[in-house]
Amino acid sequence: MADAAISGPGRRVFFRQGTLLKATVLLLLALLIVLPLLRTVLFTLQPDTVKAWPDVLTGRLSTNLFYKPLGNTLTIGVVVAVGCVLLGGFLAWLVVMTNVPFRKTIGVMATLPFMIPSFAAALAWGSLFRNDRVGGQVGWLQGMGLDIPDWLAWGMVPTLIVLILHYFSLAFTVIAAALATVNSDMVEAAQIAGAKGRRILIGIVLPVTTPALVAAASLCFAGAVSNFATPALLGLPVRMQTLSTRLFGMIEVGQVGRGYVIGILLVLISGAFLWAGNRIVSGRRSYATITGKGGRAKRFDLRGARWPLFAVAMTFLLVSTVVPAVVLTASSLAPSSASLFSNWTLHYWLGESDPSFAQGIPGIVYNEDIVRAVTVTLCLGLAVAVTGMIVGLLASYTTARYREGWASAAITQISFLPLLVPGIAFGAAYIAYLGAPIGPFPALYGTFALLVIAATGYLLPFSVQTGRAVIQQVSGELEESARITGAGFVRRLGAITVPLAIRGLTAGGILIFVKIVRDLSLVVLLFTPTMPVLSVLAYRYASEGFGQFANAITVVILFVSVAATLLANRLQRKSQPWLQN
Amino acid sequence: MKVLAATRLGAIGILVSTTALAEGHLNEMSPTDLLPLAQAEGTVTVYSFTSRIGKVEAAFEAAYPGIDLQGFDISSTEQIARLKAEAQAGVTNADVIYISDTPVVLTELLETGIIAPYLPPRVADRVASEFQAPLLAQRLSTKVLMYNEESYPDGAPVDSLWDLTREEWAGKVVMVDPLQRGDYLDLMTEIVLRSDEMAAAYEAEFGAAIELGDAANAGERFIMDLFANDLILVGSTDDVNAAVGALGQEAAPLGFTSYSDRRDNEDEGWALQVANDVAPAPGIVFPAVLALAAKPNNPAAARLVVDFLMGDESETGGPGLAPFYVAGDYVTRSDIAPHPDAVPLDEFTAWRIAPAKTATIRAEIGDLILTLQ
Repeated sequence: MADAAISGPGRRVFFRQGTLLKATVLLLLALLIVLPLLRTVLFTLQPDTVKAWPDVLTGRLSTNLFYKPLGNTLTIGVVVAVGCVLLGGFLAWLVVMTNVPFRKTIGVMATLPFMIPSFAAALAWGSLFRNDRVGGQVGWLQGMGLDIPDWLAWGMVPTLIVLILHYFSLAFTVIAAALATVNSDMVEAAQIAGAKGRRILIGIVLPVTTPALVAAASLCFAGAVSNFATPALLGLPVRMQTLSTRLFGMIEVGQVGRGYVIGILLVLISGAFLWAGNRIVSGRRSYATITGKGGRAKRFDLRGARWPLFAVAMTFLLVSTVVPAVVLTASSLAPSSASLFSNWTLHYWLGESDPSFAQGIPGIVYNEDIVRAVTVTLCLGLAVAVTGMIVGLLASYTTARYREGWASAAITQISFLPLLVPGIAFGAAYIAYLGAPIGPFPALYGTFALLVIAATGYLLPFSVQTGRAVIQQVSGELEESARITGAGFVRRLGAITVPLAIRGLTAGGILIFVKIVRDLSLVVLLFTPTMPVLSVLAYRYASEGFGQFANAITVVILFVSVAATLLANRLQRKSQPWLQN
Repeated sequence: MKVLAATRLGAIGILVSTTALAEGHLNEMSPTDLLPLAQAEGTVTVYSFTSRIGKVEAAFEAAYPGIDLQGFDISSTEQIARLKAEAQAGVTNADVIYISDTPVVLTELLETGIIAPYLPPRVADRVASEFQAPLLAQRLSTKVLMYNEESYPDGAPVDSLWDLTREEWAGKVVMVDPLQRGDYLDLMTEIVLRSDEMAAAYEAEFGAAIELGDAANAGERFIMDLFANDLILVGSTDDVNAAVGALGQEAAPLGFTSYSDRRDNEDEGWALQVANDVAPAPGIVFPAVLALAAKPNNPAAARLVVDFLMGDESETGGPGLAPFYVAGDYVTRSDIAPHPDAVPLDEFTAWRIAPAKTATIRAEIGDLILTLQ
C-alpha cells in the first residue's frame, strides 16, 4: 500500500492510507445511523406532514411547542455538562492523582450512579423532597415538618441536581481513564523545575486531558438534553417542558410529524454545540501522552485536606448511590407507597400468584415474563457490548490516526448523532427502517437482531468517545515503528493499539452493557411480547401503579449492572494502575 | 411459464377464498365450537390497555385448559403506535386488541384495516346496537372529577366545574397532561363540544353571562381559565389518584381520574369519590372496545377470548367479567345487573363521548392546550 501511495499522484487518492478504512467505517455508520434518521427526515417532508415545520418554528404554537422547551433544554445541557465535568473531574483527580484515603472505594462508587436508571433517581428525589403541591403523600423531609419550597421540589433545580448526580459518573469514567495515562515524564519534569501541585494541574494535567474533558462534557450535554424521564417526572407538575418531553408527548398523542420535527431540531442544535466542542479539541494537534517510555508519577500529597476532601467526595457518592438504592429497595418491599418503611413483605419478590393481591401478578421470581426478560436482557447487553466496541474501535481508531479530511470529521459527527436523538425517536426510526422487508431481507421487527443492531447504533457515541479519548493518547510513533517493520493494519491494531487502549475500550464495553441493560427509551418501541427486556417490564409495572414490581426489577437491573462492573474491574485490575498503590 | 403462473394464481385464489370462508365461518361459531379449534391453536396473545388482563389470563386459562393466554398490558396510545408499526412490518403479534382512545382507534386502526370488528354471536342480542359497531364496546370507562371523601365528609366541595377556576382552587386541581394521555385530551375536547352547557353553567355559577374574551367558545374559555389557575399536570392517573385520594390530608386537591380507581381505595390507602353533582357534568364516559387483528395468528382462540371477556351466563358475568365488574365501570351487556355500589349509569351525569365527533376537533384542542402550557 505504501508503495502504491508513492508511485504516482493519480493513484494516490485511491490508495492513500486509511481511505479504505474510512470508507468502511463511513459505510457502517451510514447503515447504522444515517439511513434510519434519514427515514425520519423524509417522513416529515411528506405532503401531509410537512405542515409540522411551520407549526413548530413560526406558528402561534411555536413558543410553547419549541422555543420555551428549547431554552429549558439548553439550560439543562450546559449546566449539567459543566457540573458533571467539575464533579466527575474532581473525583477523577482525587482517585487518580492524589493520596486521598479509600481511593479504590471512591473509584468504584463513582462509576455506580450511571447504572441507576435516571427515573429511579428522580423517583427517589420525589420520595425525599416532594412537597404538598400535587397533594397526596409528601416526601420524607416534608413529613419531618420541614417546609420544602416548590423550586426545590419541582422543576429546573431538582432536574439539574438529579441529572448531574446521574451523569457525573460518565464524566468520571472518561476523565479518570485519561488522567491515568498522563505521562510521569511531564509531571516529574515540572516537579524538578519546582512547580507546585496547582501549577502542575493547570499547566500540564488540564491541557493534556482536554480531549477527555471535552468528550466528557459532550457526553453529559448530549445525555442531559435527550433525557426524558427526569424532566418528565420532576418538571411536569410545574409545566416545565424540554424538547424531549415535548417530543414524547407529541408522539404519544399521535402527532408524529411535529414530534419528528422537534427531534430533528434537537439533533441539529445539539450537533452545533458538539461541533463547536470538537473544533476546540482538533485545534490542538497532539495529545499523545502514552509514549514508548515513561511511568507513573507519584501522587499529590493532600496533607491536611485528605480527610475533608474524602468527606466531600463521599457525600456526593452516598447521595447519588446509596440513597436511591435504599429507597428503591424499601419500596420494593412496602405494600403501600404511603408508608415506605413499614409492613414489609417479600410478596413482590417471592410470592405466588394471588388473585386478591396486585391483580394476581406473581412475585418476580415466579413470573415467566421476567425470567425470560432476564435472559434476553443479558444476551442483549453482551452482544451489544461486543458489536458496539468493534464498530467503536474502528471509528475511534480511524479518526485518531487519520485526523485530516472531511471523512474523519464526518465519522466523528455521525458517530455522535445518536446521542442527540431521544431514544424513543431512534427506536421509531428503526422500526421505519428495518421494520419492513428490504429486498430479499425479511423484516426484523420483533427479532433479537433488530434490538442488537439498533442498540449498537444508538450507543455508538459511548464506544467511540471513550475509545477515542484513549486511542488519541496512544502515540502514533509506536505504530509507525511497527509499520516500518512491516506489520499490517490488523496486526498493528491487535498487537499495539488494542492492548494499550484496552482499558478505555473495556470501559466503553461496560458502559454499553450497563446502558442497554437499563435503557428504557430506545427499547420501549422496539420491545415486542416475544422479546421482552427488563427495563420495559419495569416501566410497564411503574406506569400501571405496581411500583413495587417496578422497583424490584430495578433492583435486579442494579444488581446485574453492579456485578458486571465489579467483574470487569477485577478482570482489568492489572491495567488499572490508578487503583493500585 | 404462463400455465405455471395461472396454476399458481388459481392456487392462491383457492387458498385466499378458503381462508375467507373459514374466517366468515368462525364469526358464526359458538364458544363450544370454537374451543377445539382454539385448543389446537394452543396460544393467544392479547394487547390490553388495562393491567386487569393479569386476572383475565388466570381466569381464562382455568376456564379453557390447554390454551395459553399471553396478556400484555400496553397503554392505548402505545398500542396504536405498536400496531401501526407491526402492520408496516407485516407482522401480527396480537390476536386480540383491548383498547380505549376510540377517536384515534377508529381512524388509524379500523379504517386502515389494521384491526377488525368481531361480535360474539352468543351475546349479540344482549348488547345495545350503539355498543356493537363500529367496534364492540365491552364496558364504559370514565375520566371524571373526583374528591377525597375523608377530607370532605359532607360531599364534593364544588358544585360546578367553574368552581375550579376560582382563586380558592388555584394550584389545587390535578390532572394528567392532556398532551400525554389521549383520554384526557378527549375530556378537554368534550368540554369544548359542550360549550353551550358550559356557558349555562357559568351563568348559574357567577350570575352573569360568560365573557369569552379571546376564546372561541365557553369550553375554550373554561380550559384557558383552568390552566391559568395553576392547574397541576402529572404523568399518570395513579399520580392523580395519590394526590387526590391519599388519606390524612386536611384540604386535599381535586382531580380528574377514573371513577373505577375507587376500587383501589382500600389497598392503596385512598379516599377517592366521584363528584357526580357538579354542573354541567363531572367529566366523560367512553367505551373500552374489543377487536381482532386483521389477520390473527390464532383466529379461533382470539374469538374465544373476546367471547370470554363479554362475560358468561351467570348473574354478574362470571370470571371473565369479574375484573371489570367494579363500581365505576359500566358493563355494556344489558342483562348484567349494574354494580350496586356505583352511581347507576342513567344517574351518572358524565358526558358520553361520540368518538367520531371527538376526532374532528381533537387536534385543534390539543393545539389550544399547547399554547396554554
